[in-house]
Amino acid sequence: MPQPPSAPKSSRSSVGGLLLRLLGLAFIDALALLLAYALVGNGLWPAAIALVVVTIAINWIFLDERLYPVRWLSPGLLMMLLMVVYPLLFTVYVALTNYGDGHLLSKEQVVRQFTTQHYQPPDAVVYQTTVYMSADGAFLLVFTDPKTNTRLAGTADEILKPIDATGDLPGALKDSTGKEYSKVEAMKTLRLLDRLTKIPFSDGTNVVQVTGMGKASQRKPAYAFDPATDQLTDNRTGVVYKPVKGTFTAPDGKTLSPGYHVMIGFENYLRVVKDPNIRSPFLRVFVWTFLFAAFSVLLTFVVGLSMAVVLNDKSLPFRGLFRTLIIIPYAIPAIISTLIWRGLLNPNYGQFSGLIKGVFGTSPQWFIDPFWAKAGILLINTWLGYPYMMLICLGALQSIPGDMFEAADIDGAGKWLQFRKLTLPLLLVSIAPLLIGTFAFNFNNFGLIEAYNKGGPPIAGEATPAGQTDILISYTFRLAFGSGAGADYGLASAIALFIFLLVGGLTMLNFRYTRQLEEVT
Amino acid sequence: MAGTSLSTARRANLFLKIGIAILAVAFALYPVVWIISASLNPANSLLNLSIIPEPASLANFERLVSDPQYPFPLWIWNSIKVAAITSVLTVFLTALAAYSFSRFRYKGRRTGLLVILLIQLFPNSLAIVSLFLLLQQIGNIPGLSWFGLNTHGGLILIYAGGALGFNTWLMKGFFDSIPKELDEVANIDGATKWQVFWSIILPLARPILVVIGILTFIGTYGEFLIARVILKGTENYTLMVGLFLFNSGRAQEWGVITAASLVGALPAVILFFVTQRLLVSGLSSGAVKG
Amino acid sequence: MPPSSLLSFFKKLTRLLPVAVLATLVAPVFGQAKPDAGKAAAAKEGVLTLWVPKLAVQAVSNAGKDFTAKYGVEVSVQEVSFDSIRDDLKTAAPAGEGPDIIVGAHDWLGELVANGLLEPLDLGDKAAGFDPVSLKAFTYDSKVYGLPYGLEAIALIYNKELVPTPPATWEELKALAKKLQDGGKVDQGYGLHTGPADPYHTYPIFTGFGSYVFKQNPDGTYDPSDLGLDNEGGQEAMRELNSMVKAGLLRQNIGGSDIDSLFVAGKIAMVIDGPWRLPDLRKSGIKYGIAKIPTMKQQPIPFVGAQGFMVSALGKNKEVAKAFLVEFMADDASMKSIYDADPRIPAWLATQKAVTDPDIAAFAASAATGQPMPAIPQMSKVWTDWGKALNLVFQQSEDPAKAIKNAATSIRAQIKP
Repeated sequence: MPQPPSAPKSSRSSVGGLLLRLLGLAFIDALALLLAYALVGNGLWPAAIALVVVTIAINWIFLDERLYPVRWLSPGLLMMLLMVVYPLLFTVYVALTNYGDGHLLSKEQVVRQFTTQHYQPPDAVVYQTTVYMSADGAFLLVFTDPKTNTRLAGTADEILKPIDATGDLPGALKDSTGKEYSKVEAMKTLRLLDRLTKIPFSDGTNVVQVTGMGKASQRKPAYAFDPATDQLTDNRTGVVYKPVKGTFTAPDGKTLSPGYHVMIGFENYLRVVKDPNIRSPFLRVFVWTFLFAAFSVLLTFVVGLSMAVVLNDKSLPFRGLFRTLIIIPYAIPAIISTLIWRGLLNPNYGQFSGLIKGVFGTSPQWFIDPFWAKAGILLINTWLGYPYMMLICLGALQSIPGDMFEAADIDGAGKWLQFRKLTLPLLLVSIAPLLIGTFAFNFNNFGLIEAYNKGGPPIAGEATPAGQTDILISYTFRLAFGSGAGADYGLASAIALFIFLLVGGLTMLNFRYTRQLEEVT
Repeated sequence: MAGTSLSTARRANLFLKIGIAILAVAFALYPVVWIISASLNPANSLLNLSIIPEPASLANFERLVSDPQYPFPLWIWNSIKVAAITSVLTVFLTALAAYSFSRFRYKGRRTGLLVILLIQLFPNSLAIVSLFLLLQQIGNIPGLSWFGLNTHGGLILIYAGGALGFNTWLMKGFFDSIPKELDEVANIDGATKWQVFWSIILPLARPILVVIGILTFIGTYGEFLIARVILKGTENYTLMVGLFLFNSGRAQEWGVITAASLVGALPAVILFFVTQRLLVSGLSSGAVKG
Repeated sequence: MPPSSLLSFFKKLTRLLPVAVLATLVAPVFGQAKPDAGKAAAAKEGVLTLWVPKLAVQAVSNAGKDFTAKYGVEVSVQEVSFDSIRDDLKTAAPAGEGPDIIVGAHDWLGELVANGLLEPLDLGDKAAGFDPVSLKAFTYDSKVYGLPYGLEAIALIYNKELVPTPPATWEELKALAKKLQDGGKVDQGYGLHTGPADPYHTYPIFTGFGSYVFKQNPDGTYDPSDLGLDNEGGQEAMRELNSMVKAGLLRQNIGGSDIDSLFVAGKIAMVIDGPWRLPDLRKSGIKYGIAKIPTMKQQPIPFVGAQGFMVSALGKNKEVAKAFLVEFMADDASMKSIYDADPRIPAWLATQKAVTDPDIAAFAASAATGQPMPAIPQMSKVWTDWGKALNLVFQQSEDPAKAIKNAATSIRAQIKP
């Protein structure tokens, strides 16, 4: 790997630096080793291997001088790996599952829910209970059958035995091993309920389960799960349920709720391509999404850049104040501003529409007319977004050396020419990626579209719910999430990945077209 | 090239610029005026029929300081804390990465830059469940409970994941404009890479550090989707999560929401007012000429 | 590896991520940040955790304190926005981080039960203490999943200065609205959500003409295979809305917050809205009255919503949670204090009988004419298309009957598979 001419001397750090580095690495390695050991102990082999790989990578990066430049990147890369790449992989995985409403829990959780359900047979004995607890937190319970006036007593580990049913119960009892249990006041048993209900007491033939404060009854498990055959049996009816796509299903098609999430392959991806609700308006919506994102970038950039240029002028009085006032829209939550704008645009009552009416005699139908609805969205988005652009431009303008302008001034170049030939190209080199970022952000700007008019106005005669101002993500998410309910995360994830690929593709095209990357020197 | 007095053309130019600036301020503040108006309305109206609502009162603002159930000042403090730490962290991580991209030449450098940009194009609103699970696991590791669920540390970790991205390009572009001769001179004088980075590059790049810091601060300050899922319990909320309590079911308390939005915007605005004077070219101020 | 264990593998996978490394790299930066862990952490065994929306917080906290004093169980009440409780439960509960009890609306049942997130409740003798409608609302698959505390339904709210006596029929309402508008007293005699449309508030007009969303079975459940939005009555309701727009009795572009503002400003004389408007109405000082929704072809049937407590099936203190609700909240004093803090129509009969507030009594009268909003999962497929049909008519870009027929066709197609 070629080294920059200036690198070799300085990358060889001092002895103290090296020592510090080695110490740090030793610390990291020790921690990683401990973690890996714990992971192996839990049987998480893949996880342990991945951890070792990452640790080795870190050691390598910090020991191999040829990887010196990567050292500078590694903290940020690590964060990105953890908080961006990992969730991205997670989304790819979720898109392969039926994770969503009805399939929210894991199979383990669902099976546990079924197998811990008990039912009370019609002839079950209902007991009153008295709770005794030992010093180490074990329980001994006395079950009194008020009908026959008999008493059973015992712990979780032994079969309940009849005891003397006459008179009051004593303050303390002993189990067969001689361990002593003292009586718990009835009021104090409530906080123990969750532990008590989980104990399967047995009278030899039946399970006796605590059902509430001071209450217990003979019960039978409602379902039995056989891990070998992967089948769930309803103990009352004998019906056998087999798992079908994350739902326990009987031979007659009856299903048990809830289901659990399973891999369903590429079904979600295929649905994105095949679903007529998604496909039929795709082209129209895609065109508007593209235009919306592109115009948002263009408008915010033009407005933001003009303001930056004006406010970069040292001769401007109150420059700081102007700058600060103009930045205010950026500091107010966008959702509030959008709603206020909605009010201002209201054709009957809005102040902004009133202004327009005053000047032009009529005001546009901002929410009903497709063209003006789009214009309204762009107006609001320009207002919301220009401070960001202005800030970036203000920052980037500082990198253009002043003497360059002095030279240009001497050459007698006009201001406009100077701007076009010098400032703009230099600015674009560092700002273009942020324009792409803004484009991508707006491509997925779900919030603005929803808040403005929920994608409306609607289109008559079309079966899809995609409205005139809907962008790809807003109408597809509406399909994936119903209206706040019936969420299908699997489908939504597949959609998000498609849109991600779309935006990524557009970005690559843009790079190729503008040769932006080639300008990276 | 110094003229003794401003030429007529220059004066016209200046007036034009003042005109544009005033126009820009008007455009910026027009809706804000109506947000103020909404905040003065005790009856929660967003459709502002008149600038001074009827009846008008400061009740919504009084509530911000006096409601024991809703500690607004604490929420604002939480937001400031999270946003400030995140932006310092982001600026630092970005600067390290940008330095590498700007000053070293190695295989995969361009690809690295491109990949960083592409990855950040992924909309992470769907990744919330995975972030939730991730923080849960981190919090379970002994000694790392500061970064688990329901902690500001965890939230900051998530936000800092977005540090590398578009910002890296912006900062790299700025670093590129700082002449490499400066590094070399320092190297000859025996300075290490770190010393060059810390005492030469960073001070010169001050304007862009400030810009990225402010962008991150404001972006983090207003973030809501992730914070809402991660934080539970009134005393842990950031301002935006707290405000969402007032948009509950069918009754929305717009008066309090707008009032809190305005007060909540102050820290960012003040921060900008204070730091904007640092937005002057570090390069034109003589450093280059030495 | 079996596929179903992959998700849990992903959870475990997170442990491998080099968090230790990360911590050593960034920990110094966090020096000034105080740890907040543990202060209000989610579900813990032994601590009863509740997610409660704004208005009920104080009352539930007080009940919690009494509960702690009596039974020695610690209670942690966390205020969560009503709008995020349901979604947050879906994220947190499967991860084992959810609360033991949530407060929510009965129409969440279908979704939450289908996900296995709720625990059925055995109210025992206490069941008799509740308004039967509220229990019916919280019943799903013939099990009770919630302890109701409040009911709500929309009613006619009118400006007393403009409308001395509330109209009893829809024709009267229209005539009065026209008179007020022609006289220049108001912008709109009657205000309805027209942009974007809101099916919930428009539903009484549908039922008043004989339409329904899902047919109600004799036992109170709903039949998802019988969608009645586009029946004769539904089409007539749509034609009625259409003619009202044409006659200028409905204005376009009026959203929910617009109506609120305009009514308070005296620019709308009559609206159909719910008890959640009361706090604003009282603060504004306007003189308002509340009456039953005027009769169209028949008495309109508004949706009735019930609010109550639900027990998470994945909570760590399920039994304590049930005991807290059944033994402690289902009680005169607790229900009264919740009513005082969050004045809805009380579901607890003793509290309901003691209500003296005429506004609440008026809303209760309207609720008595209503039916619980269907909680079945199919209900979530209805809103989008229905809203679109209404918007098309309000915007005058589709024939009313055709719009609702198209919507119904689309809804049926989504319910089928």
